[in-house]
Amino acid sequence: MTTPVKSSSRTAWWLIAPGAIWMILFLVVPLLMILYVSFWTQTTFKIEPILTLRSWQQFFASDTYLSSLWTTVRIWLIVLATTFIIGYPTALFVGLFLKSKTLSTVLLVICVIPFWTSFLIRVLAWRPMLGKEGAINIVLQYLGIVDHPIEALLFTELSVIIGMTQIYCVFMVGPIAFMLGRIDPNIIEAARDLGAGFWRIFRKIIFPLSLPGVVVGAIFVSVMVLGEFATASALSGRKVNLLGNIIVTQVGSLKWALASVVGVILTVIMGIVISLFLRIVDLRREL
Amino acid sequence: MTTEASIFRLENVTKRFGDIVALDNISLAVDQNEYVSLLGPSGSGKTVLLRTIAGFDVPDQGSIEVMGRDVTHLPAHLRGIGFVFQNFALFPHLTVSDNVAFGLRNRAEPASADEISTRVNDVIKLVGLEGLEGRGIGQISGGQKQRVALARTLVTEPKLILLDEPLGALDANLRSRMRNELRAIRERLGVTFLHVTGSETEALAMGDRVVVLDHGRIAQFDAPDTVYGKPASPNVAMFLNRYNLFEGEIAGTVFKSELGELAFKKRTDAHKPAYAIRYDRVVVDSESAGKGDPGFSASFVASEYLGSSIMYFFEAAGGKVIEVEHHLSNGAPKTYEAKKTYRLRWKPEDAIVFG
Repeated sequence: MTTPVKSSSRTAWWLIAPGAIWMILFLVVPLLMILYVSFWTQTTFKIEPILTLRSWQQFFASDTYLSSLWTTVRIWLIVLATTFIIGYPTALFVGLFLKSKTLSTVLLVICVIPFWTSFLIRVLAWRPMLGKEGAINIVLQYLGIVDHPIEALLFTELSVIIGMTQIYCVFMVGPIAFMLGRIDPNIIEAARDLGAGFWRIFRKIIFPLSLPGVVVGAIFVSVMVLGEFATASALSGRKVNLLGNIIVTQVGSLKWALASVVGVILTVIMGIVISLFLRIVDLRREL
Repeated sequence: MTTEASIFRLENVTKRFGDIVALDNISLAVDQNEYVSLLGPSGSGKTVLLRTIAGFDVPDQGSIEVMGRDVTHLPAHLRGIGFVFQNFALFPHLTVSDNVAFGLRNRAEPASADEISTRVNDVIKLVGLEGLEGRGIGQISGGQKQRVALARTLVTEPKLILLDEPLGALDANLRSRMRNELRAIRERLGVTFLHVTGSETEALAMGDRVVVLDHGRIAQFDAPDTVYGKPASPNVAMFLNRYNLFEGEIAGTVFKSELGELAFKKRTDAHKPAYAIRYDRVVVDSESAGKGDPGFSASFVASEYLGSSIMYFFEAAGGKVIEVEHHLSNGAPKTYEAKKTYRLRWKPEDAIVFG
């Protein structure tokens, strides 16, 4: 009896072979290569495979690089918080309070419409909105709320955060709305029948049941924000330098070794962040 | 029936959803310490009636009293009514004992920790869930889920518990075991159960009294044997799934049906005329026999063995299917030839005529 099961499971392994080969060739090998190159010796015009710690020392001795590490972590945490604060109530509305499934699907599709244009256009569209003579300042001045245009809106950390929140919020809303939509309305009615008020029901039933969605959304947002460089360079006027921006400039000036160091550090941070999030819930059980 | 004796009382309750009248002027009073089953086909409004009593839906007209108190506009949790949902609606992320304790812990005035643990333990013992307190909801069987759902409601000590098709999600074996257990638990606690079901056997087996709902109206409210033996309308007879029904009209002492004139003795007032004869009152005879009794010719189609009885299916003129039940305690089953014509007859006093 065991033979057919065994042979069929052996056949099943072949199903993942193409994917596995692809991932090994184009993800695992390059990652190991980056780790290896980060120890190579870099001179002004060439890079040699002589192992050294020079690039690592250079990174940790430089205030510029360390401060960009800190900026990356700070912006990641702020954007994570803003996407959650804006995204959770939205998901609650779409996933739980809307009785019509059609309407909630339509709303989710509307959330995705900005993705029909290119990433760069979405980012650059914030410039005429936030600029000194941009839409927001025009409206505020017209309404007499401010006398002089607010200059802090564009080319600051704030504009980077505004832009990123808008772009990545939908990745928070989607998974949470999905989990909330799966909650059986009878469960909420049962809790109400047992005498629990709205906040109790939210704290004890709704939020815990949506937590896997929050974790998946947070992982999406984290991975994308930690690897970001385009929004920062387009909306900060080069004042905000994320680790991603450093990689871009280093690669641009052919400093492969230092770019690799930053790449390894970024990958390690993402690994830590993802494993911490996965500790919050057992996704295998929930999904 | 006085107000004090009834656990709840509906007065002219009407509920509409758009153009659909889900509950049509329903008045109903149920005694304390009683098991009432509520039978109706799907779409008859039985779930709406239950939800209206519970307070999940508000009636458009009429009033609802629970234990002598008008609760028509009171929210569900202030009515002192327990509700057991069709699919149990357990909290999937909580353990068995946390599910049971939920009501005591999370109501406006939570009970003390000691009281909660005593009461939760008591009710877990009552429904027979000892040893499963720490299990997750995904780790217990359907029957155990049913018990958790019941325990979660019982722990808040309501005097009236509404059960919405509580056995619908269980397999046949478990269903009959849970039937006995539900009755036993109810008798021990002395509370009233109002049990909604679409199954006529379940309704008759469980209820001290049976409410039959038909198109949002109460068609009959009687003891099970009365409902079974003397259905109040052709539709009730149809829901019971135990009567052959013929349409037609009353002409003096006979009933003019599509299959000829049929004699009868008893007559029940009803909106539309119909002639009903129980499956197990029909006798199968050779074509020429028993001409004095009401009956007609029909050809044999097939039979179905049910264990304690056999169902025979005959086809009469116009393609109408007639069912005949033969209890095996009344002798060995007879075999009939397919497509051969037999005479189906019965005693006129066994027939029920509506009209």
